[in-house]
Amino acid sequence: MKIDIQDLSHVYDVDVLKQLNFQLNDYRSVAIIGASGSGKSTLLRLMSGLEKPTQGQITINDMNVSSKQYKKLIAFVFQNHNLFPHLTLERNISLILEKTRHVNKVEAKKRALEYLKLVHLEDQVNKLPKNVSGGQAQRASIARAFSLNPDIIFMDEPTASLDPFLTYEVLSNVKELREFGKSFVFVSHVISFVKEFADYVIFMDQGKIVEHGKPSILVHPSTNELKRYISYLV
Amino acid sequence: MIKFFNNKIVSLFISVLFVVGLFLYLGFASVDSLNFVPYLSDFGGLLWRGFLNTILVSMIALFFSLVIGFLLYQISQTKVQIAKDLVFLFSEIVYGTPLLVMIILMVFFIGPALSIEDWPTLGIAGIILYMAPYMKNVFVSSFSTISKDQYMAMDLFGFNSFQRYRYLIFPQVIRALMPPLMNNFSLIIKGSALLSIIGYSELFSIVSVVQSRTFLFVEGYLLLWALYLCITIPLSQFSSWLERKFRT
Repeated sequence: MKIDIQDLSHVYDVDVLKQLNFQLNDYRSVAIIGASGSGKSTLLRLMSGLEKPTQGQITINDMNVSSKQYKKLIAFVFQNHNLFPHLTLERNISLILEKTRHVNKVEAKKRALEYLKLVHLEDQVNKLPKNVSGGQAQRASIARAFSLNPDIIFMDEPTASLDPFLTYEVLSNVKELREFGKSFVFVSHVISFVKEFADYVIFMDQGKIVEHGKPSILVHPSTNELKRYISYLV
Repeated sequence: MIKFFNNKIVSLFISVLFVVGLFLYLGFASVDSLNFVPYLSDFGGLLWRGFLNTILVSMIALFFSLVIGFLLYQISQTKVQIAKDLVFLFSEIVYGTPLLVMIILMVFFIGPALSIEDWPTLGIAGIILYMAPYMKNVFVSSFSTISKDQYMAMDLFGFNSFQRYRYLIFPQVIRALMPPLMNNFSLIIKGSALLSIIGYSELFSIVSVVQSRTFLFVEGYLLLWALYLCITIPLSQFSSWLERKFRT
């Protein structure tokens, strides 16, 4: 995965991201970490093209992230699963395949069931999101992301709203799905998962990238901000 | 015995019988005898036409006020401030205007200004314009139940506008949409009676004509009331059916 961020700023009511410049080549799994309000989720949303930056430009794999072509190549796992509440787990996947990827109905259903099986939800396919646990819904949302066969999967704190047991359940699932050879960009507070799953880590603080490098920076941080962040987590 | 009365059909039948009986009793108590014969024989055809006209006018008004209400909703959601302000201003003016005044304004003020002389059309247009902001509010309140993240997901997965409304938004909001929509439709049906002031031959206007010829006033009002219910009750059943259909 090739990431190129040029002169990126983003403002909501206050400056969330300030003049970011960042380039990265050839990493498969990039983690963005940082305290709440550091701008990491905003950066993830901008990189996935979900939101447009106030200023600056992002290209990933040489594609502008606001292009339609790029949107077809990515998938996003939201913090709170964000499944459509009126559709069953199976329909949450098959509807997207059917209507936006033009897969025929039978094939779409087959693929949905296949991916739900991958996340061990074969018994829950006909349930509505509200009738399954948070962890199961989040796993269904991961299945939904994979079923689109994207090149890059973005995950925004996929376990933020889950208890430790469900967190373990979801993250084990993500690790199992690693073999599919996708690229990942994700935000997570679970440092053990970041160490194991990421091959590059970006640490953000107050809207800036303060430190970045291989996961070993989590063991030997060079900036005080990262040292402090890690000490809070331990 | 209790089980028998708790049966849905039995209890509905008894309830209907009770209500009809009560109102017939009130009718008989208010005049010496009730005589519906002229309404059903001599003026039956006329009454039927009035009934159909009321349905027609209400349907037209419902359809167009829904369409315009939806457009107003869409405009109010854009980022163009002047468009939003215009919708706001139009809505405020309508909220402060009685329907009767709106119809008169359309017929005697806006119609002539646009060189339109067709009074029924102008009257119906008055009802449509009057109802449109209320319809907009129905959309605003029911669509607000869908989270920003869901809209983001729709965008991300590449659903087009039609697909969004058909498969994702509408099925979710239909339950919230139906009760206020029915409320508005009932306002339209009741409001359509005001078209009688411009001489449009809808139900109320026809019944008034028959009343003035036969002097059977109580019968006329009872019949009018029953005929309005003949429109509204099936409609409310239809909306429940629609709601169930979209839920599955």
